Amino acid sequence: MILADVHPVARWFWGLLLASCLIWYGTVTVYVAIRGLLDIRTMLRRLEEVRRQGPA
Amino acid sequence: MTHFSWPIDGSIVGVYLLATMVVGIMVRRYVGKVEHFLVAGREMNVYLGVASLAATEFGIVTCMYTAQNGYKYGFAGAIPGLTNVLAMFLIGYTGFGVKPLRDAGVMTIPELFEQRYGRFVRWLSGVVIVLGGLLNMGVFLRMGGQFLVVCCGLDLRYLEVTMTALLIAVAVYTVLGGMLSVLVTDFLQFVVMSAGLIAVTILVLLKVGWGNILAAVDRNYGAAGFNPFLHPDLGWQFALSNTLTSLAAVLTWQPVIARVLAARDSRTGRRIYTRTSFFFIARWMLPGLWAMGALAAAAVTPEKLAEIAQRLGEKDGTLFAMPYFLGLALPSGLMGILVAAMLAADMSTDSSYMLTWGSVIYNDILGPLRRRRPLSERAGLLWNRFIVAAIGLFLLFWGLWYRLEGDLWAYLQLTGTIYLAAMSVLLVACAYWRGANNWGAIAAIVVGAALPVIGLALDKLIQVPVRDAAGQIIMVGDVPKTIGWKSLYIGDHWLNIGTYAATAAAMIIGSWLKNMLVRPVDSDRGATREVRS
Repeated sequence: MILADVHPVARWFWGLLLASCLIWYGTVTVYVAIRGLLDIRTMLRRLEEVRRQGPA
Repeated sequence: MTHFSWPIDGSIVGVYLLATMVVGIMVRRYVGKVEHFLVAGREMNVYLGVASLAATEFGIVTCMYTAQNGYKYGFAGAIPGLTNVLAMFLIGYTGFGVKPLRDAGVMTIPELFEQRYGRFVRWLSGVVIVLGGLLNMGVFLRMGGQFLVVCCGLDLRYLEVTMTALLIAVAVYTVLGGMLSVLVTDFLQFVVMSAGLIAVTILVLLKVGWGNILAAVDRNYGAAGFNPFLHPDLGWQFALSNTLTSLAAVLTWQPVIARVLAARDSRTGRRIYTRTSFFFIARWMLPGLWAMGALAAAAVTPEKLAEIAQRLGEKDGTLFAMPYFLGLALPSGLMGILVAAMLAADMSTDSSYMLTWGSVIYNDILGPLRRRRPLSERAGLLWNRFIVAAIGLFLLFWGLWYRLEGDLWAYLQLTGTIYLAAMSVLLVACAYWRGANNWGAIAAIVVGAALPVIGLALDKLIQVPVRDAAGQIIMVGDVPKTIGWKSLYIGDHWLNIGTYAATAAAMIIGSWLKNMLVRPVDSDRGATREVRS
């Protein structure tokens, strides 16, 4: 393998960055999927209230 | 031969498309006013904002240009992602520029400018925002169609049909539900897109191997593949150009700013920025990695990519390395997830962009007409829907006609600069410089728009033969290989940096001139109100 030729600092930098991306993205996707649903429910409930009150 | 299977992958894609359309159309009943249509009644909270911002700022076109950078420059090509992260986090954390913007309670950036620079500057800002925005977005649809054709192995005859079908699907729910439909479908699209991106990345890593990807980058580009400052085509001017673009885009790119403006308050808007910031490196790293997987794959050869590019009428085959590689590498089932994810990404981007450019046309360009003859909410909604549909038609025709000259990212950066340079300078001056006035603003807008437009025109109108190291003209068949004049003699990075510098200088000189030549009592009627945080 040619890995020895690749600058070790660069290899670690990009490797850690990629790992951080995958871990962060995986976690945020699950979290946002749950919290975002609640946000949508709240937003639509408020807009429904506005709609029921009629034009200001 | 790709592994796309119509019964399996087609069903996955079909179910996803149906779900999106149903959800998008369902929320239209909540749209009763123009404010609901354009900024969702300003009821968006943090996590919906994070999903929407991430989904909007990742389309097939994003995937294509980040992958092209990965294929052409290795890891060094992902530097714009790092500048994006830093810019978005810093601006979200400090509220620089975006806090006064949200606190002003406006629906678009030009609306804020009217308070400081007057009506004409608002109108002119609207014109350059729409010009830059539509030219930028003009290639989205074509890229989406090309990705699907190459990745799924569709017949080329279906390229236009694919593009049109994609556009109609997006236009239907955007026209009906405006920002509300965009937000709710963005949420669904974020989940599907993220699942697809993560799954495909893991599969590429398992199939190709991290070591082989590193070795492929090293073999093709050496140390320059890991360090942009060593790359002859990148260098510090590439990093500086992207830093300027990132800062300006985070401050004033209307589809991004629309999330701050639709947020419940400026604190929510800033939290959306800080919490989404890291996504901006993921959107460069993951597709970039897929393309570096293509570098390691024996089946993806420059000859094959050139043949695909010729078939699709494009000049640069590197654009198609990633979709061609994925078509070969992914098994059936995962192909369906990938295509659904990419469609999700593309639909969320197209819908948001159509809506935000439409909002500027309605709010700022047509604003002076509405002052003379105010519209009812119903008529305003109808106008907005008509404008979004008209933008869709423009995209279809521009996408069919326009051919790229160089890197996709360079094109997007340059067309974005048509307005990013001037709008970011105007916003910063509006919020933080007492001496700024409408002379400076007009000078900045004209200079900021003129330089990139001249650059694009030089590329299109003057073609120069490409020569090899020995000075001989390179031939493609019987025809000499050509490149645009600006790309060869100025370069996209220098033009970008020069535009920002000239725009800032125009703002300063124009404002000073007015402050020196015009007495304050005569100055800018109705345009001197301070807008400060």
